[in-house]
Amino acid sequence: MTQAIILALDATNFVLALLLVTLGLVIIFGLMNVINMAHGELFLLGAYSVYTVQALGGTYWLALAITPAVLALIGLLIEEWVIRHVYHRFIDTILATWGISIAIKQAVIIGYGPAALQVNNPIPGAIDILGAIYPAFRVFVMLASVAAAGAVFLLFYRTDWGLMARAVIANRSMASNLGINTRRMDRLTFALGAALAGLAGAVMAPLMSVDPQMGVGFLVPAFLSILVGGTGTLLGTLLGTSLIAGGTTVVSSVWSQIVAQIVVFSVAIVVIRIFPQGLTGGRR
Amino acid sequence: MYAKPIWAMPEMLRIDALEAGYDDGGRVLHGLDLAVREGERVALMGRNGMGKTSLLRSVMGHLRLHRGSIRFGQQDISGLPTYRISNLGIAYVPQGREIFGDLTVEENLRLGLLGKRTTARTLSPFVFDRFPILATRRHQRAGTLSGGEQQQLAVARALVGRPRLLLLDEPSEGIQPSIVQSMAAALASIAHEEGIALVLVEHSLQVVKALAERCLFMQNGCVVAQGATTELDVNSDLVLRHLSV
Repeated sequence: MTQAIILALDATNFVLALLLVTLGLVIIFGLMNVINMAHGELFLLGAYSVYTVQALGGTYWLALAITPAVLALIGLLIEEWVIRHVYHRFIDTILATWGISIAIKQAVIIGYGPAALQVNNPIPGAIDILGAIYPAFRVFVMLASVAAAGAVFLLFYRTDWGLMARAVIANRSMASNLGINTRRMDRLTFALGAALAGLAGAVMAPLMSVDPQMGVGFLVPAFLSILVGGTGTLLGTLLGTSLIAGGTTVVSSVWSQIVAQIVVFSVAIVVIRIFPQGLTGGRR
Repeated sequence: MYAKPIWAMPEMLRIDALEAGYDDGGRVLHGLDLAVREGERVALMGRNGMGKTSLLRSVMGHLRLHRGSIRFGQQDISGLPTYRISNLGIAYVPQGREIFGDLTVEENLRLGLLGKRTTARTLSPFVFDRFPILATRRHQRAGTLSGGEQQQLAVARALVGRPRLLLLDEPSEGIQPSIVQSMAAALASIAHEEGIALVLVEHSLQVVKALAERCLFMQNGCVVAQGATTELDVNSDLVLRHLSV
């Protein structure tokens, strides 16, 4: 029984962690139709931001508060200097953001070296959940993800800005006909996506080894989640991450990690074959 | 509303020698001239592919201008981004209506306000008085409305932003003929009462006569003829020359 509870907690933890990483990616793709290949590196910068604040004597919580703002600023600069020049050329946005990802990774290696760094865990203990002993910080990660997803939901479905964003997603040129400044929406969306990537990196940093390759590990399942879930709604993102992360955790508890990846990727391919627009996008 | 007759009103929209087209250099408009006075209602007619829709899209800043100018009031609007043109007081109801089908009727209407710098952010009851069907359907998804209701929504969404000029592309397309006439009459009275100028692209002579005072005929990206709509009928020379196939 305890085993089952721990497995359920592990699966939920991975699902919510992946959801946190995927949020920024899906918002940028949904609104701007830009596949941000640098998302993993923005995640990485979030983790290094925590390391830097701690190295300077700040607490983890201070770092957690600062990091999204720093990443939002970096997102604004990337949008202004690179993305806005290549918006209308879909393939070029992939190439450009991939270039940015390489530049960020190399800059991090120059600044911090290639070795793995350690970030202090601010909540080291464990807590008892229905008889299962579970690391307290993992519980915090889950709560942070739920809070971030909830905030994004409220932003998009309960505010004027969100209504305008949904209009731009549905029909960009008609939104501009109505006087909506789509350039400004793009800029803010990219900054928001970057801030969410940074937040994810900051939240996850104490659980991971902070090194220049850490962004890649989450990027592939994040992309896969979007393909499986569809880009239209946040529900799709939740479905996609549940299938990918939940599936991986459950299967790897029975067989090895590698078998789990093969099974989950195969299922994902079948899902995408049947639902090319993702599970929430309707069947073709 | 008017103290003066239309011909004495100041010019509102002035297009001079406009050449416009696509990014790849292909041109659709070839030296087009057009002037619309404040509160004037003008129809554009002509066969398919003559540049009527392209003209409206150029005014909204969607096409690349190669030469010529577009002035709105005192301001040169050629090359301005679409959202700024909209904020100057030009509203556009495109062909096919382009309502946001997944959003509710009310959300669609509010989007007509949110991008504007000057208007209030809450809907005034005026719009529901004018289009009572939209009040009944207020919380319904816009995609579930009938063609005629969607057209009313598209027009209402354009009007809530208090435009001075309304560009309407094929408002009667895909709507039951019985509804078309009453809608045209309602629109004519709103435009008249609010003093909104209208540029209408339309193939139905009936709608043109109900909505516009002057009709321009387009051919190969230019305005080639014009006449008062009162003088138009299916047998008039202008109509035979420019519309019959």
